[in-house]
Amino acid sequence: MTRRRKGGATLPYWLLSPAVVVTLFIVFVPMAEAVFLSLHDYLIWKPTSFAFVGLKNFITALGDEVFWISAWHTLIWIGLTVPAQMLLGLVTALLLNRTFPWRGLARALVIIPWALPSVITALMWRWIYDANNGVLNDILVRIGVLQSAFPWLADPDSALLSIVLTLTWQGFPFFAVMILAGLQAIPSSHYEAADIDGATTWQQFRHVTLPGIAGVLVTAGLLRLIWVANSIDVIFVMTGGGPGYATYTLPLYAFIEARTSLNFGYGSALAVMFTIILGAFIVFYLRRAGRSLEA
Amino acid sequence: MRKYLLAAGVAAAALTLATAASAETVRFWYHFDNPDNPMTSLVEKFEAANPGITIEAENVPWNSYYDNLYTAIVGGDAPDAAMVKLFAQPRLLEMGALEPIDDMIASWDGKDDLLDGILKINAGPDGKQYYLPVQYVVLYLYYRTDMFDELGLTPPTTCEEFRDAAIKLTRDTTGDGQVDTYGFGFRGGKGGHDHWLTLTLPQVEGGLDGGNLTADGAVAANQWTVDLFQKDKVFPPSAPNDGFQEIIGGFKQGLTGMTIHHIGSSNGMVEALGDKVSAVPVPACGPNGEAWTSYGDESLAVFSSAEDKDAAWKWISFLAEGENNVLFNKATGQLTVTKSGSADWDLHEKRFVDATVNSLPFAAVLPSSPATSDFVNVVWPTSMQRALTGDITAAEMMQEIQDLYGSE
Repeated sequence: MTRRRKGGATLPYWLLSPAVVVTLFIVFVPMAEAVFLSLHDYLIWKPTSFAFVGLKNFITALGDEVFWISAWHTLIWIGLTVPAQMLLGLVTALLLNRTFPWRGLARALVIIPWALPSVITALMWRWIYDANNGVLNDILVRIGVLQSAFPWLADPDSALLSIVLTLTWQGFPFFAVMILAGLQAIPSSHYEAADIDGATTWQQFRHVTLPGIAGVLVTAGLLRLIWVANSIDVIFVMTGGGPGYATYTLPLYAFIEARTSLNFGYGSALAVMFTIILGAFIVFYLRRAGRSLEA
Repeated sequence: MRKYLLAAGVAAAALTLATAASAETVRFWYHFDNPDNPMTSLVEKFEAANPGITIEAENVPWNSYYDNLYTAIVGGDAPDAAMVKLFAQPRLLEMGALEPIDDMIASWDGKDDLLDGILKINAGPDGKQYYLPVQYVVLYLYYRTDMFDELGLTPPTTCEEFRDAAIKLTRDTTGDGQVDTYGFGFRGGKGGHDHWLTLTLPQVEGGLDGGNLTADGAVAANQWTVDLFQKDKVFPPSAPNDGFQEIIGGFKQGLTGMTIHHIGSSNGMVEALGDKVSAVPVPACGPNGEAWTSYGDESLAVFSSAEDKDAAWKWISFLAEGENNVLFNKATGQLTVTKSGSADWDLHEKRFVDATVNSLPFAAVLPSSPATSDFVNVVWPTSMQRALTGDITAAEMMQEIQDLYGSE
């Protein structure tokens, strides 16, 4: 009997161990490796000059103009993209929650931008923005908004915002679907009660709908924040970070340093710094969001 | 049943081992833009002639070719042989990735068929031979003959004539007040350093790594190039981000009247434009009429990590021989490195071959320095884009490049 109990006690660990081992190897080992590399000078085309330098790479980054340019762009990138996606997703979800003909089809179609591979999205939008053949310029010139074609991705003032718009388009269906699920979980009796109490549409939205989907908004917002912050594929395909550093974000800078300049030490330091900043931001976000949810 | 399964398993394992022992596999990386490439037929021909060797040829996309190659070498997963360019040679040597092939070339029948002097251009900085040339091109100036005729222009031979022609070509052809045609399709994105070097380098004493990039004359030359975009506005507004597709597409569509590329794109140009396109050597931009254009090389190398270097050598030397090399170049649209292949070359129109041959006297390669990879892939594209968009000055751009070469 005792033996059976012992066996029963360890069984769950045995069952869990494959997943734990895999996670350790594919998540924690590379993370530890990145931290290890960030403390070294390591140009991979100079394999003999691998040297421990302590925090030198981190100090260099703090004095590096490109680091601060990239950090600022990252802030704009997250600060505009996530709220824009959330707002557009909310509006879409509210529309899709209404009854209208072909609603099922509309709900299916709205997911398309989310379902497209990022590279396809990036290439498609690169052609939309193209200065010479792009459809956006063509329309804007025809309706008289622009006098002549504008190089959206080649102008440093508009390049990042253009990509923000692309990512907003790509990511809003995720919010729409999540919020729609949240909306459908709100019992209709709440609206009926509010109606009887004489609440206006806005008051119903403010005091019934929003509290009903607050949890979804916080969770979806957090997920998107992490994904958008780390997302470099669309930027990389659309501009490669250019013109100049106009569309560099911190993860992209880390990627270019490691992959193109082959400077794995400095690239890893940038990645580690970004992880710490993002981690701190997420803790702050969760505390704030948690507090407002409880309230 | 159990016994039967066991016996079958042992037999299968023995068969696998036997196959592995008898057939050497050569992993080969190359990059062809043309998806309809002849690599399969070349591999079949080689394998038929060399029954013990299997070729695994992989077409790796150009944009990430060197990123993939360097990381594969460091990760211990390098191919046995690959297509490589001269600018990468110093870095590959520093990594200890290249196998010297002097002895193999010395005993190779095909060596006398190689064009004169071509091995010397591809020699390593230490005098040893690591690269076996497989094709070459020289960059020249494409111009639209119809536009030049209409405006009574002649192809420019100096930078002043070039600027003058570019300004005249930049015009509103439809009368709607908007510019429809630009003088020159400048490649401001990755790979455009050749355009910039043609317009700027002849004014720089000692070349890129000569330490004079911040001298007054050199900065003025760069300012002149930047002004072509900012003040004269003879490049399309998208120039800072433009790459190969944009400059070639823009030229074919009539958006630009001139651009710089090589014979590899000439057949496509003729297909789109017929006799409305021609080519001449790039304009001379030096104070005493010096010109600079890029010798576009492509070679083959055996990697030091290759398990069977003889098999890898057999394969790369096969690609550099007579008719095989002609077939190879049919796909890339570039020029053969063999005398026998050059003798009856009919893959390109004569005017483009002439422009190439006439450019050879001043065609040059980038400095043989590990910094050159960074110049090509990172420092030039970023600093050029920043200078064109007014983020930094022409002098600051030169300083960045000077710092790069100075740090090596």
